[in-house]
Amino acid sequence: MDEFQEILQDFLVESFELVEKLDEDLVELESNPEDLELLNGIFRVAHTVKGASSFLNFDVLTHLTHHMEDVLNKARHGDLILTPDIMDVVLESIDLMKELLNVIRDTSADAGVDVAACVARLDKVSGGTGEVETPAAVEAAPEPVVEKAPAAEAEEEELDYDSMDPDEIEAEIERLLNQRQDEDKAKRAAKIAAGESVPDMPVTPSEEPEPEPKIETAPPPPPPPPPPPAPKPVTPKPVTPKVEEPKAAAPAKRASATVEQTIRVDVKRLDHLMNLIGELVLAKNRLIKINDDVEERYEGEEFLEELNQVVSIVSLVTTDLQIAVMKTRMLPIGKVFNKFPRMIRDLSRELSKDIELVISGEDTELDKSIVEEIGDPLVHIIRNSCDHGVETPAIRTAAGKDAKGTIDLKAYNEGNQIVIQIDDDGKGLDTDMLKNKSLEKGIITEKEADNMSDKEAFGLIFKPGFSTAAAVTSVSGRGVGMDVVKTNIEKLNGMIDIESTLGSGTSIKLKIPLTLAIIQALLVGVQEEYYAIPLASVLETVRISTDEIYTVEGKSVMRLRDEVLSLVHIGDIFEVERILDGSEHAYVVVLGLGTSKIGLIVDTLVGQEEIVIKSLGDYLKGIEGIAGATIRGDGGVTLIVDVVALMQMAKNVKATALIESSSSGSAASNEKSKASDYTVMIVDDSKTDRTIMRKALEPMGITLVEANDGQEALNVLKSGDYNFDAMLIDIEMPRMDGYTLAGEIKKYNKYKNLPLIAVTSRTGKSDRMRGVESGMVEYITKPYSADYLASVVQRNVNFKSEFL
Amino acid sequence: MSDKLKQIIDKQGAQQADTGLDQSDDIVQLVGFIIGEEEYAVPILAIQEIIKPFSWTRVPQVPPYVLGVFNLRGAVIPLIDLRAKFGLQSKKQSDETRFIVMRHGEDVAGFVIDRLTMAIRIKKENIGAAPDTMNSEDSMIDGVGKQEDKIITLLKVNKLLERDF
Repeated sequence: MDEFQEILQDFLVESFELVEKLDEDLVELESNPEDLELLNGIFRVAHTVKGASSFLNFDVLTHLTHHMEDVLNKARHGDLILTPDIMDVVLESIDLMKELLNVIRDTSADAGVDVAACVARLDKVSGGTGEVETPAAVEAAPEPVVEKAPAAEAEEEELDYDSMDPDEIEAEIERLLNQRQDEDKAKRAAKIAAGESVPDMPVTPSEEPEPEPKIETAPPPPPPPPPPPAPKPVTPKPVTPKVEEPKAAAPAKRASATVEQTIRVDVKRLDHLMNLIGELVLAKNRLIKINDDVEERYEGEEFLEELNQVVSIVSLVTTDLQIAVMKTRMLPIGKVFNKFPRMIRDLSRELSKDIELVISGEDTELDKSIVEEIGDPLVHIIRNSCDHGVETPAIRTAAGKDAKGTIDLKAYNEGNQIVIQIDDDGKGLDTDMLKNKSLEKGIITEKEADNMSDKEAFGLIFKPGFSTAAAVTSVSGRGVGMDVVKTNIEKLNGMIDIESTLGSGTSIKLKIPLTLAIIQALLVGVQEEYYAIPLASVLETVRISTDEIYTVEGKSVMRLRDEVLSLVHIGDIFEVERILDGSEHAYVVVLGLGTSKIGLIVDTLVGQEEIVIKSLGDYLKGIEGIAGATIRGDGGVTLIVDVVALMQMAKNVKATALIESSSSGSAASNEKSKASDYTVMIVDDSKTDRTIMRKALEPMGITLVEANDGQEALNVLKSGDYNFDAMLIDIEMPRMDGYTLAGEIKKYNKYKNLPLIAVTSRTGKSDRMRGVESGMVEYITKPYSADYLASVVQRNVNFKSEFL
Repeated sequence: MSDKLKQIIDKQGAQQADTGLDQSDDIVQLVGFIIGEEEYAVPILAIQEIIKPFSWTRVPQVPPYVLGVFNLRGAVIPLIDLRAKFGLQSKKQSDETRFIVMRHGEDVAGFVIDRLTMAIRIKKENIGAAPDTMNSEDSMIDGVGKQEDKIITLLKVNKLLERDF
């Protein structure tokens, strides 16, 4: 049974691959019915599936493919011209075949799909001999199929020469001849390979002198156009070898080529490999960071150069490795594009429009997971283009356009992204109509409609519940579809861009990142936290002054060139406690998704970095606004912003309190009505020293706060419980020394003017210099007198003399 | 860490010698720890590792007892403060604070505890059901382990690791 399962798996994989190619070939065949190469290819697919399925006892499938094979065989020999009507039947049978394959995949059996009607039609097409009844009757009760279908097949193949019509006999004769010929060819080829010279000898008396040696060495000459339908039974001989030539030569060549070059690998293994590479990228980032630190500390040392070299080689190889592994996961987008010619064909027949699909760039490669996701959105967009975009031939001609509409589907690389572009030359999007429709459905308000740019109006087609089709057709207009497109593309971190000119067509661009596992991100800081924003969604960053932020209806906005951009503070979205606000400048990261834009205010821009996306796990999954996490070079975890969700959340956030908080700090600290309004922090690791300072300052009546070391001092400062007027700082302290503390404090705008007084036993000139550099205003050396300390403090806090 | 470990192992050895318990089926091995004033325990097999505290990243929109996430050798793992979860005032981390990383199936999370006590071997018969008042499906308490001088609350690891917000 296991062996059977294994064979079955192989069969399914092979069949699905064949069928995928089939659709495209068939549509091409319809426009090019004389192309024998194509016909042969299609015939071979039916034949292969038939052979394999009969071996695996899938009788319904065998039965169906057998009849397909009949029709195709006739066409191949020129006995049948493939009209669109016949193609419909063939295509229908292929759909059934796909359905059957799906059923087999799911249930390992091929019951439950009714093929009788289709087989009947196929039979009618292939000659209408009326033998349809047997299989049709059989279909009613699935069981007997096992018995009868092969019998019917056998009958046709072995016994019924007499009852066959001339065409069929001819086909049979040809088949037998070809078979024989193939065998002989194979034998001869073997002999040639063995070095024997073989005289050119006709295999059958009736054959023409053979061009055999040519076939072995040079590509076969293009097959001649097929002969007119139904030549007399005996005469087709000259034709047969030529028809057969490509078939005989091609498979042999292809077999030797493909076997060597590809290998099937379980996707799980690739995923695992990708994970490992992810770890490696993290380690590399870390190594680079350490290298930078070391460089700073041991500047000018000789070993640095060596270290630098190693680090850059590791970094280079890691990047290459990452790209190489990424490539193994890449699939050509043609895999998705293949199904569209067929779809367009069906649609244009259904809608009685004449539409041509031009595909280019199908070799462009995308990550497997993206290829799987991109299919549905594309189907919706192309359907839409057919239904709403391209007009009927009559209207087109009236508008002076070519009666045949064209849809251009192309894919190409653009930087780190893949662009899939769908252009049609239809009627274009009418912004007024879009707005009216949205107003009618209550998607937008009148005010919004008036202020809407063309781009934003185009974006309306992605709103849920929107449909512009006057009448609901079976193709589109049911109000679902385009919003699904938007969701799916956004899920892939992609962007949608629409351009349209009324009357001459619409162009939709989907921009999608190459891979999902490792992305480029912009790291931003807010207070002490960092967040990573996928770079694909970042349009630009701007530095603005806080008075460029306006408040409109409780929302912050700014003017960006000629647009009004709504703003939201990242701290409001992620509940960051904002204690040290108040810089005059802000950085705005302009995020774009699909057609919507928003400005995200952040405190700092850290830079661009390659990050590996990790899941937050089951416990924390689904947190709004967070897409995942990554591990940074320093080993810390940084959260990745989910731009889609963030845009949703931004709608519910009120204007930032940015402006008020910046002024409140200074205002409060200026009003002093009594001595205890003055607050001074004492930072020293020695209890004794702190007590000495306290004793010296207590007589003034000011409020004193103590901290053990720099770290604690910083925390007290940031907690915002006090408004300090000055700080007394010891230099030598554990955890964070005085210089570092001063440097940290001066990073915050709010404390630019806070007097920092060094109180230390270090007396060297260089120590004083360092103190000044780090932002200290006074430098008191131990020991000092209590009066001196008090006077220095009074001077620095502008102590009012009336409190003395 | 190694000192602490040694201490624990020593204690464990002593305990084993004292009670003469052997490794038979009705012995449950637990790791005990203190949160606030109480001693709790979880099965030793549910513990992936015990580590010293290090920095973590805050995650927005979660209850206060979820401190955030931290990096455990390349994996991003949630960190839960058991003091806050049990409704106690949060306390500054001390030298004795530890992260216990627990695993149940696929779920992993780190828990902040005040102090480790020891590895405990206890007979199944000495484990009683949780008091009726808190013995429900939703309870985090699995039972109560009786020892000579004290009782220990046994916690359900699957409940601890279950997202309840």
